[in-house]
Amino acid sequence: MSRPVPLLTAGGLVKAHGRTPALRGASVELHAAEILAVTGASGSGKSTLLHCLSGIVRPDAGSVTYDGRRLEDLPEKRLSELRRTEFGVVFQFGQLIPELTALDNVALPLLLAGTDRAAARARAGEWLERFGVRGQEDLRPGELSGGQAQRTALARALVTGPRVVFADEPTGALDSLASEQVMTALLHTAREAGTAVVLVTHDAKVAAYADREVQLRDGALAPLGVTA
Amino acid sequence: MRTSVPAIRRDRRPAASLRSDLRLAWQLTRGSDRGEWWRVALTATGAALATGFALAAVALAALRGSYRVPVAAGLLDQPGTRSGVIVGLLLLLVPVLGFLGQCARIGAVHRDRRLAGLRLAGATPWQVRRIAALETGLACLLGSAVATVLSVLVLLRQWDRPTALAWAGIAVVAVAVPVLGAVTGALALRRVVASPLGWVRRAGPRSGRGPGLLFLAGILLVAALALLAVVTTSTATPHRPNGRVPLMMTGAVLAAGAGAVWLSGATAKATGRILAPRARSAATLIAAERLRDDPWSAARTHAAVLLVTLVGTGFMGIRQVLSDVVHTSPHLYMSASYYTTGLDLTGAAVAVAVTITLSGLAVGTAESLATRRRGLAAQAAAGVAHTVLGRALLLETALPLAPAVLLSGLGGTAIGAWYALLSDRPVPWVIALVPVAVYAACLLAAATALPLLRRSVRPGELRYA
Amino acid sequence: MIGMSTRHILLGLLAAGPSHGYDLKRRHDERFPQARPLAYGQVYTTLQRLVRDGLAEVDGTDSDGGPERTMYRATGEGTHELARWAGEIAPPAPFVANEIFAKVVVAILAGGDPAGYLSAQRAAHMERMRELTAVKAAKGADLATVLSADYALNHLDADLRWMSTTAARLTTLTAEVDAA
Repeated sequence: MSRPVPLLTAGGLVKAHGRTPALRGASVELHAAEILAVTGASGSGKSTLLHCLSGIVRPDAGSVTYDGRRLEDLPEKRLSELRRTEFGVVFQFGQLIPELTALDNVALPLLLAGTDRAAARARAGEWLERFGVRGQEDLRPGELSGGQAQRTALARALVTGPRVVFADEPTGALDSLASEQVMTALLHTAREAGTAVVLVTHDAKVAAYADREVQLRDGALAPLGVTA
Repeated sequence: MRTSVPAIRRDRRPAASLRSDLRLAWQLTRGSDRGEWWRVALTATGAALATGFALAAVALAALRGSYRVPVAAGLLDQPGTRSGVIVGLLLLLVPVLGFLGQCARIGAVHRDRRLAGLRLAGATPWQVRRIAALETGLACLLGSAVATVLSVLVLLRQWDRPTALAWAGIAVVAVAVPVLGAVTGALALRRVVASPLGWVRRAGPRSGRGPGLLFLAGILLVAALALLAVVTTSTATPHRPNGRVPLMMTGAVLAAGAGAVWLSGATAKATGRILAPRARSAATLIAAERLRDDPWSAARTHAAVLLVTLVGTGFMGIRQVLSDVVHTSPHLYMSASYYTTGLDLTGAAVAVAVTITLSGLAVGTAESLATRRRGLAAQAAAGVAHTVLGRALLLETALPLAPAVLLSGLGGTAIGAWYALLSDRPVPWVIALVPVAVYAACLLAAATALPLLRRSVRPGELRYA
Repeated sequence: MIGMSTRHILLGLLAAGPSHGYDLKRRHDERFPQARPLAYGQVYTTLQRLVRDGLAEVDGTDSDGGPERTMYRATGEGTHELARWAGEIAPPAPFVANEIFAKVVVAILAGGDPAGYLSAQRAAHMERMRELTAVKAAKGADLATVLSADYALNHLDADLRWMSTTAARLTTLTAEVDAA
């Protein structure tokens, strides 16, 4: 697995929410096309690490380098663009726009990138089919099952062909069968497209889909082994 | 979140049960977040405005025959012009109702969830209804009390010994405002009350006609009152054709109000339906789909905008023509200031209506942002630029308002032109700029919510449901 | 896997029709992927015991061009016994046989490093879970493979959860063990 230059490197990340420290010097590397699981107990700083790595929040200290670019040097506008073009994000729930159909939700990132509406919808349809959401293209998120909604969210995260997908507890609200379908779909598409995945989870069965695992304990990387 | 809901005492004695409900309503308000305090403050403000306008109208309506009223250049001396002022004051209640309607939406999602939680904890539908009624009613009581005290103080300085009728009217208004507020608060809850899970688990879009109907009912009430006031105060001048004009006016206001609510909802729906499949940009698509999904959400405020545009444009036309007449005619019955004061007063009323309507619009936009903040934060996290989100927000206001304002602007201009032709004066085409100005002001009002957008899309919002 | 009865599994495979030892072994390994493969010796001794107990009988021989093989088939009594076993409820964890727990306690008693042991054990468990997940998520994996991998994954996951809570409470456990 060891390649010379990692795609994404974070060093000494420190971040506090108000007076509550979330990260205290976390460092991590992600290689191209690698699936990395970030595990740890509730409140160990997993989500904050993901937010820092994906440039959603700026750390109080430390540095994140993506493909030779230091994220802290980029203005918010460039960060947004980076997240839109090079990254994809999936959360536990609530990322789909409730008023848009599944198809339009997936087409949205393409529209934002200036793709023609018809072409965007056509490509979104292909991705939905790839994730097994067929026949539900015209349903709104509220009418989809939890698993279908998450697979729609994955399709949306991958439709722009990102190099990294950040997934925060993508199966957190699902039963084990739906969770298995979501994870298998993510694994297969990421492998085919050569997309790297950062997978934040507290579930060892979900973490087992990754190539490698890092564990957070109290905001720092724990030596691999037991979570407290 | 509010998980530690105190147990409801199933008390048989009504007094004690009311007391415990009151305590619970107070605890819920006290423990709630900033949004809830905003709702209380704005609702109280709206109730104070409503009480103030209604009290002024009632005090004037209590006058019989000719008086010397030391304000407004003698405009209030004669019953005929007085009834016009009363109608004007009552018409001001329309934008206030729209404003109150927007205030009721603040924190509606959280409130519904909390009350459903009360049902889950074992509260009866009646108890939940009563608690909700108390929450709204108390805010209205606060506003109404402040407005009543101030109005009575002002009244006593102008009028040595108000009649019993005036006092009775004041008492009725002071009580009616909080009671109506409480009833509305209870009525708005019918879905939550039915099932402890109903509202929390709702997946599909709402039917949404309820608020529009409520607004219409409010207008109906105002119109009935106006009719009553005009009929009772104008009896002293027997040579005037009493019955027909006020009836026609009432009919016109009712038709305009109903038409405005329907029109704004319908244009929102049509705009969404037409634009959604054709949208080329993400901002337009999001805005259009939101309109198609819930076209009635902004119907009340937009209806008020329509009425204000119609009345404002028409008024500007009449004003142009009238002041032309006043300044050029050699013989007038009264001094020129009598007429200009009347015009200025009406102008002030229109300005107040515009201000209230715009405030309602701003509140509504801010509320729609606050309700969707988790989704917005997720969009921002996915790299949707703030400018796109802001554009979608403005488009949601701009799109449905455009055809509606155009139509009501045309109507207002027609009124002005008709009046000019009647008086044989040149048509003041400049009034066609009024709808444009109103439209621009609406966009500005919606834009006041944009700083909130930046706060709403913080990544911290991603952590909560 | 608790109380896995080779006797009954072979009887079950024979229910499909007469078969010989080699074929039985092959079908067993195919039907139960990820299970420990059966040894030939074990298959033949088990078949002989089934014949001795009257649950199976020799059905002649079959050469099929190669070396001669003894064919077996289930008797009526065997079919009856199979039905009884298949309907019988497996006893839910009759004994708590937890090697990991034993090792943690022994480590505390002997002044070892229980936390270090748990950490290493967790890493080994995760490694095995990744292997099983890869097998299960491979394209074209049949349902039997998915289900048997799932069975093991769920058990390993249960172990992992137990190890996490134990690791968090090692201090209290050490005090308790030392005091006794």
